[in-house]
Amino acid sequence: MANIIRAASRRDVLKITALAGAGSMFGAAPGRAAPKSMTMMHENSFIPAYDAYFKTPLATAYEKATGIKVNYELLSVGSLQTRITTVAETGSGPDMTLTFFNWPFLFDDKLVDVSDIAEEIGKKAGGWHDSAKEAVVVNGKWKAIPFGNVGQLMNYRMDWFSEVGVKEFPDTWDALLEAGTKLKKAGHPFGFELGHGFGDNHGWLYPLLWSYGAREVEPDGKTVVIDSAETARAIDFCRKFFQDTMFEDVLGWTDVSNNKAYLSEQISCTNNAESILYVAMKDFPDIGKVTGQAQNPKGEKGRFHILAPWSHAIFTHTPDQKAAKDFLVWLMDPAQAGGWYDVAVSYYGPYLHMFDDASLWHKEPRNLPYRDSLATSHLPGWPAPIGRPQSESVAKYVVVDMFAKACAGKSTKEVIADANAQLKQIFKSG
Amino acid sequence: MSAHSQAIGTAAVRVRPAPSFRRWTEREGVFSWLMVTPPVLFLCALVGYPFFYGIWLSLENRPVAKPGVFVGLANFVADWHDPVFWQVVQNTFVYTIAATLLKMLGGLGLALVMNQDFKFKNLTRALMLLPFIVPTVLSTISWMWILDPAFSVINWFLINTGLANPGPSWLGNRYWAMASLIVVNTWRGLPFYAITLLAGLQTISPELYEAATIDGASALSRFRYVTLPLLKPVIFIVTMFSVIFTFADFQLVYVLTRGGPANATHLFATYAFDVAMGGGQLGMGASIALAMLPPLALIIIAMSVYMRPAKT
Repeated sequence: MANIIRAASRRDVLKITALAGAGSMFGAAPGRAAPKSMTMMHENSFIPAYDAYFKTPLATAYEKATGIKVNYELLSVGSLQTRITTVAETGSGPDMTLTFFNWPFLFDDKLVDVSDIAEEIGKKAGGWHDSAKEAVVVNGKWKAIPFGNVGQLMNYRMDWFSEVGVKEFPDTWDALLEAGTKLKKAGHPFGFELGHGFGDNHGWLYPLLWSYGAREVEPDGKTVVIDSAETARAIDFCRKFFQDTMFEDVLGWTDVSNNKAYLSEQISCTNNAESILYVAMKDFPDIGKVTGQAQNPKGEKGRFHILAPWSHAIFTHTPDQKAAKDFLVWLMDPAQAGGWYDVAVSYYGPYLHMFDDASLWHKEPRNLPYRDSLATSHLPGWPAPIGRPQSESVAKYVVVDMFAKACAGKSTKEVIADANAQLKQIFKSG
Repeated sequence: MSAHSQAIGTAAVRVRPAPSFRRWTEREGVFSWLMVTPPVLFLCALVGYPFFYGIWLSLENRPVAKPGVFVGLANFVADWHDPVFWQVVQNTFVYTIAATLLKMLGGLGLALVMNQDFKFKNLTRALMLLPFIVPTVLSTISWMWILDPAFSVINWFLINTGLANPGPSWLGNRYWAMASLIVVNTWRGLPFYAITLLAGLQTISPELYEAATIDGASALSRFRYVTLPLLKPVIFIVTMFSVIFTFADFQLVYVLTRGGPANATHLFATYAFDVAMGGGQLGMGASIALAMLPPLALIIIAMSVYMRPAKT
């Protein structure tokens, strides 16, 4: 309970003593009491046990130890960003929140600098992965404590791949195209989202772009370089990949579509989080047994993945920010965090080196590629420093639609020109 | 002056204050203001304030959770140069015009049928309202399954009857996606049209039809020269409402396609939401939402001029 004792630092003790002394002079006994309760806001996890674990044993244990009740406000899937916007704009509501993707960069003015506890947590648990810093460090300050990465990798039917002579998952995009062409002919097409979902589209299209050496913007964060030969090659590949391995529906897919298609045996390969294997093992064990997971294939310039961090941040309106920090330190202590990771199998890949070989990875060895993908994972907009323009680009689906329009029949030149015009406008305003 | 008259005077003085206040409040000018003020305040707080705040936001470079900087019309200029914005404009017009026309024709037909006498008339009228009563998000999820590539009941029918194999990609093909959204919007909005037009039809005096019949008017002429002119004010009101709701539609698109494929179904509201909430650009999002106002106002004005009841 060293962390809880830490709640009352020397300065606090002095303050409390002084206030108590002053109070006793007036016949009262005021003092800076710890808050009776705090609220953590989360979006419904797709793994129910994960949300249940926060309430019991985590929140109950914390209340027992400190007397502080930590409420868990759960929101429906897809509504967290709107709620955070409301809370940040009005300056009232929950004390702490879950953040996704690059949100610490969007809401940084309204989030408390947690660099001090990030260092403390990192020291205790073997240090942070580099990608943790990419996820939450805004202008040199940690604006959230990374919890887990929801990796987007390849999910495929090992049995069907074997039937067409592919025993190992292809290591390059070209080899995957070759396998997919055979599988489509065998009646098992691929299904990669090219529509306007939240993440399964960005999840493979940004890595594809990067693996060809293309990018939206230079590291200076201003120079738009989407109009390049590398982008053109990535688009030409994507069009062929779509035509030879997929079917038209994927152009209108949202995030639920590929899960449904995979679990109803419509497709043989997609790019998704671990949820497909998790649900398959639970509800469709026959499919679960023959489902494999692999890192994204390599392109000309290497192998890439999308970084999808789940982090915890403290709002600046929180009356007792120190109490909130103490809670996050306690939460991220391996004793607590380890159990929370375990209950979600390895859906949330830890950013702390201490967990690199932890039990969560051994429950289901097929999840190991998710761990290994962290080193090559980046936020949309990489290699430019992450900021508001990248959010706008993602919200406008600039990269996704560039590929989707090419797959639907537009020329490479046209779709690059469209994306270039949009990005130039976005990054000028950034 | 006698004691008697003094007593009357005193009594009059004593009772005057209360009735005068009551009388004052009962004066038409005062009473009407008293009745109108609460809803006006309510409207100002819940509609007026957000509206004017929206205008202010649209004139600012206002990232989420950061202070804004006044930029004048820069957001509108940026919208003007945004190719997606123009696609959104085109989508919204196609969606609104097609869905409104379908609802108008279908609703009128449905109302004419419902105006006849038949068995279970009341039950049928109640059932007709179902699409309008069911929350849009719920009914749209049912449509999501109907249009789902793997589980579509329509495609199952088409494939099993040998009409198509594979069936159309309802939400993956840009044209089918827009057509699907128009159909779902029409399905949802038809009852509103039908029930309102039915109410209008029932106010038309049967004597007019009798007189027209005696004059030798055919069924078509009775509809053309009696029903339609008398129904015109109701058609105008219901079309105006429908245009406003359809133009600003959000839920249906957000649940079914989120504006995809490649922005083919993005409307003003969904695009404004994505830019403001997803992209954290509140000022630009507000400018996209506000851009709805001039075309909508023009449509309403044009409609009110065209459909104005002829003055006799």
